[in-house]
Amino acid sequence: MINKIETSLKTVVEDIKNFYRKEQHHFLTLNGVKLDDETTQVQWIFSTYGEVDDITMFYVDVKQYEFIPSVVEILPSAIISQREIVDMFGLDVEGSTKGLYLDEDSQQMPLGSCGI
Amino acid sequence: MGNKKIINIPLGSQHISLLEPVKFKFACENEKIIEVDSDVGFVHRGIEKACTTKFKFDAVPYVVARICGLCAITHSLCYTTAVESLLEGEVTQKAKYLRILLVELDRIHSHMLCLSHTAENAGFEAMFMQIMGDREYVMDLQEKISGNRIQFDYVSIGGVNRDITTDIIKDIKTNLKIIKSKVDEYIDEFTNNWSLSLKFQDIGALSLDEAYDYNAIGPLARAAGLKTDVRSETNYLPYDEVGYKMQLGTVGDIHSRNIVRLNEILNSIEMCENIVDGLPQGDILTKLRGKPNGEALVRLEAPRGELMYYIKGEGKPLLNRVRIKTPTFACIPAFMEVFKGSNYADAPAILASFDPCMSCTAK
Repeated sequence: MINKIETSLKTVVEDIKNFYRKEQHHFLTLNGVKLDDETTQVQWIFSTYGEVDDITMFYVDVKQYEFIPSVVEILPSAIISQREIVDMFGLDVEGSTKGLYLDEDSQQMPLGSCGI
Repeated sequence: MGNKKIINIPLGSQHISLLEPVKFKFACENEKIIEVDSDVGFVHRGIEKACTTKFKFDAVPYVVARICGLCAITHSLCYTTAVESLLEGEVTQKAKYLRILLVELDRIHSHMLCLSHTAENAGFEAMFMQIMGDREYVMDLQEKISGNRIQFDYVSIGGVNRDITTDIIKDIKTNLKIIKSKVDEYIDEFTNNWSLSLKFQDIGALSLDEAYDYNAIGPLARAAGLKTDVRSETNYLPYDEVGYKMQLGTVGDIHSRNIVRLNEILNSIEMCENIVDGLPQGDILTKLRGKPNGEALVRLEAPRGELMYYIKGEGKPLLNRVRIKTPTFACIPAFMEVFKGSNYADAPAILASFDPCMSCTAK
């Protein structure tokens, strides 16, 4: 069972900051799901230590040109999955550079709009 | 005292301490590592993309099994469990038990591989050869149960593909007994032999606080004392019925990680013995109808830690999204933190103790 919480690009950092307790919550990953040609749902997914299948997901539907704020100050481990969605979806995430899987100057976004 | 000179030293992309391609760039002040950069994408194969464009949902278990040779079973099981949660029907208890059996055998041989590499990095070649040789007992069992030593396509949507016979059960009991006695010997060596115990104590340590900060998982987290194991945080598989016990360390150094892995092997052996002793009757495969519609998120404990699959479908043969979060990928930031402050000379041994899988990481 996933507890889905809709948030916005303006408030996502604050919402996660208010929710996350490092000794209680485990940050699973940052995920992207393509909704249509221009829109990607970005998801920040958490579980709870010691609880059975207690999954919380913050999500925002973002347009391709929108700027996604970084949560690395709250979740240092998020840097790697932020870089992944930059590569895979061609999204613009604060402080996250392209080049994790693809070349740094690659125009490709395999899971994004252009699909190559 | 003059200004200290910073020297940049690369480790990888090909390095003798690890066969897989990964590159770390260390900025060192004398012997001490003060900054780390990583490059982990050398073997990216676009599997997530392939799973939503080239293969129908019922073929994907055999695609994702190719992500990693060591935890192929966990990948295919995690995906099939996610699909099963979106389809109508229930997998039989016997199939669930057989799934745990293969997952735990997989964990035993994966941990043995890591321990052998750790021994090799301590300059203990004989121990490396011994553990790799003993690992064959597990590989033989996997071949008898699934038909293959490593790349087994054992799990299907709805159950498993092969039943187990009384002869195989007999072989499982015999081989597990041998492995158990071998692991007892390893524990003695890893605890009392200077090369494998004192040499590794306080080296490459991750504190409990750092484990929380960097969301560490698997043996890396448990060696630091963080009580996290997906086997106790999910109920897709009946781990509570087969004798699962969480293994924890306290110090978080290479030595602690070795001991946690050794204890996990013993616990996995115990679980496998309990499974074959109490194997339920019933079918091994249930036919599940329909196509995945909706979204599902499933986690399983792979040998290196938490593996997560997120899938989304719209009732069509091709899925909209298959997201795979692998254990090593999630731990890269924690790895980099551990390297900081360590001596460069210890870096290969620390890296081997992480048991990294770049095949999973780059997928």
